[in-house]
Amino acid sequence: MKTKRYGFAGVFAAIALAVSTLVAPSANAATEIVVWADESRGPNLTKVIAAKGDWVSGYTVKVVTFSSFDALKDAFDKATDASGPDIVVGGNDWVPTGAKSGKLAPITLTAAVKARFNPTQFVDLTYKGKLYGVPVDINNVAMIYNTKLVSSAPKSFGEMVSNYKSLKASKGLKAGLCIAGGGMSWGAHSVFSALGADAYKFNSRGGIVYGRSFTATTFGKNVRKYLMDGKKSNGFFPATDTGCKDNFLAGTVPYAVIGNWEWADYVAKGFTMNLMPVPGVREGTYGKMFGSVSGALLTTFAAKHGVESGAKSLLTNFFASTDGQVRYQAIEKRPPAEKGAQADSTVTAAQRGFGSSASLAGIPQIGAFLNSNKGGANYWDSAPAYWTAVLIDGKDAVREASKLAAIWRANTDGGKGDL
Amino acid sequence: MTYLIRGKVALLIKVVVVALLASVLLLLAQSAFAQREYVIAAFLAISVAILALTYLSKISIPLKFFIPGILLLTAFVIGPILYTVAMSGFNYKTGNIISKEEAIVQIKVRGIEPAPSGLSFDIKLGTVDGKPAILASDINTSEYFLSTLEGRTPLVASSLTFNEYGVAIVAPNFIPLNETEFASADKIYTGARFVFDDQFFIALEGFEAGVVSQQVLEFVPESDQFRNLLTGDVYTDNGRGNYALADDQGAILEPGWRAPIWFENYSNIVTDPRVREPLIRVFIWTVVFALLTVLTTFALGLLLALALNKAIRGRRIYRSILVLPYAMPSVMSILIWGGMFNTEFGAINALLGTDIAWFSDPNFARVAVILVNLWLGFPYFYLISSGSLQAIPSELMEAAAIDGANPRQIFRKITLPLLLQILSPLLIASFAFNFNNFNLIFLLTGGGPRNELDGEIAGATDILISYTYKIAFGSGTQDLGLASAISLIIFILVASISLYSLKKSKVLESFA
Repeated sequence: MKTKRYGFAGVFAAIALAVSTLVAPSANAATEIVVWADESRGPNLTKVIAAKGDWVSGYTVKVVTFSSFDALKDAFDKATDASGPDIVVGGNDWVPTGAKSGKLAPITLTAAVKARFNPTQFVDLTYKGKLYGVPVDINNVAMIYNTKLVSSAPKSFGEMVSNYKSLKASKGLKAGLCIAGGGMSWGAHSVFSALGADAYKFNSRGGIVYGRSFTATTFGKNVRKYLMDGKKSNGFFPATDTGCKDNFLAGTVPYAVIGNWEWADYVAKGFTMNLMPVPGVREGTYGKMFGSVSGALLTTFAAKHGVESGAKSLLTNFFASTDGQVRYQAIEKRPPAEKGAQADSTVTAAQRGFGSSASLAGIPQIGAFLNSNKGGANYWDSAPAYWTAVLIDGKDAVREASKLAAIWRANTDGGKGDL
Repeated sequence: MTYLIRGKVALLIKVVVVALLASVLLLLAQSAFAQREYVIAAFLAISVAILALTYLSKISIPLKFFIPGILLLTAFVIGPILYTVAMSGFNYKTGNIISKEEAIVQIKVRGIEPAPSGLSFDIKLGTVDGKPAILASDINTSEYFLSTLEGRTPLVASSLTFNEYGVAIVAPNFIPLNETEFASADKIYTGARFVFDDQFFIALEGFEAGVVSQQVLEFVPESDQFRNLLTGDVYTDNGRGNYALADDQGAILEPGWRAPIWFENYSNIVTDPRVREPLIRVFIWTVVFALLTVLTTFALGLLLALALNKAIRGRRIYRSILVLPYAMPSVMSILIWGGMFNTEFGAINALLGTDIAWFSDPNFARVAVILVNLWLGFPYFYLISSGSLQAIPSELMEAAAIDGANPRQIFRKITLPLLLQILSPLLIASFAFNFNNFNLIFLLTGGGPRNELDGEIAGATDILISYTYKIAFGSGTQDLGLASAISLIIFILVASISLYSLKKSKVLESFA
């Protein structure tokens, strides 16, 4: 009986160990650099990197694609030493939390590599003076106008409001200007800034001039003048972005702020490149169009996997190079971040159109700044509440602007040290 | 017929099935061990031993039936509860996620700063006398040198061979790495400090570039401190998961680490007004929401059950229609209702001819939440009320009617008390479920509306669990430690209310 029991135990142990050994994952080869990307960028990066296999001598590059940008973020938040990527292509607002939590590693670029980019793009990827990746592509918004409703580009904010009022009844307009891309904080920053509430003004060296930003009284008075009829909204600018895109495409809104990531939908409906920044209250001035860069970010896992130098080489040789960005953006179709790639003949009209709109009046979204709870508030999270309070609840435009300005100030004072 | 397969064949199949299961668990244990998840690895290994002992011996027949449930309960209920309890005692939030050892390594890495000159060189990796070396070129100034871990040797251009970009690739005594050697050299060269001068070294930034750098932060293991070599500042362990300046606790080095702070997360709930005040408001609304939901869904469900308890034409069709909201995935229903409540384009405002900002006004948003939950919940109470009504002996009602009781009295004195006796556990379960009804709030209102401009932290329709989710996974700082503490309080609250209610309704006694 004893022999029999030992026999079963032996069979059990043998089978269990044999199977577990057979299916056990082999350790990652140290010659492989793993890049994580979302469902759009992943397949394109795979193609481009595979087409020219020697971006980093002695290494192969494996691109892991996730089903969505959110899935990618979720996976990166949960990544461990064993499972984490060496490079992740993510949003610039991942930088502060990734750096604080020890998931992103700093990189120092040489002057030659830095010169390939606009300096403000590095602000997007910097946290406490350290750079955590290289800019890959630009995500920005611009205002589009429907030439079937308005014949020419508006010269001022007031002109847009006048056009809306005169066409409202005859064309059955549902709004004058609405936000289809970027939401009621980042997307609507173009309207905030056009009316006088610029979240941050930049000097020529790419530094922020805090003292000249966000003038609440001017902004509040402009809101009263251009967006209100007494205590009620005049209908020109909806408080939410719901339905904006559909209404614009249906021809019931003449002006809309759209994101470059949705441009194909507008082309499919027959729209052409009537892009511009939102005009300001004075002719010749413009609101600041929000724009951010997505970055190829170096992770701390690269060092743990023994491929840190290889990963840094991939960042500079591929992601931050003219050749790499031209090849990649030829199929990804976003505006490239690298200057040489921007000037390349393969860049499409849409890529150029958004790029030129951004260069005329663009601001970066800085993850470390105004997007944290520093000072006990979060400006970008709070901004949409302004439109609700004023345009829906009918609260005083100047007083509510002062409240938002106070949040901006607290957030700025608390957060500017993180730049 | 009792056993289809018996004897040695059955035994062999059993051994093989258990062995395969054990192999999967061993594989998972191996993977967990590799990822340094030692508790999970140990649990999986112990599970294998328990499974083998249970199914390959005759230790206990009942155990063969209980053990899968016990293991799953341990893994998916007891484990998470214990983990939540443990994490509630830690400073575990954005910036304090990794271990102290990892944090020290990363602070050292971040403590390397480029030299103020901003100098960098094109480099070629190789060896000199078998030791790691770099051949550095500055193509702008035509400066070339060999650098090892011990010293630096200037070179003249005439002794070098250059590539098409003017970067030196061959030098006397320098043996460059070939392509196949790069990957294996990564660990050796990364982090190496090639000599530049007395103050600075060259750090690799990829295989092609070296940046003149200096170590600014130095770790002193004996005193567990970081020292800034330029300013002399000393950063010590502040006991809360960060190295901080002694005279300015706000000046910390990042990243920090998970550090035990014992009951501080709990005390913050009471003492920190930014946590306490929204929490009290959210708690009151959570109780109101759960109570109203149970009352309204039960009332409507019972009403319909009573109406359809009598033989009427088309009763089956009515019954089928009434169950439809329950059959539809709740996620879909909630999203559809969300659209219908839209201020500008929603069907509700269109039908009523109003322009109510359902999700912008706190009171309307709460009404919307209750209405949608009524839609989602009444079929359940309709079904169980219908079943319970069938279970009440009709003789009781008939006897009451003979005694002269009218239908209202029969319902109030006989039907309802008996129903409540039967349905009490389900009403309590429904209350507990709705106390934590995350899906509804998250998908319908996102917890809003919230007046950020007036400094509101929680939304008007946030319930405890959605508020906790925002603390744990919201934008900005994610505070998993505080969220764990609140989760435990929710657990204790729900468990206490449920136990009290069960005790009051004497349901447990009937199970005894």
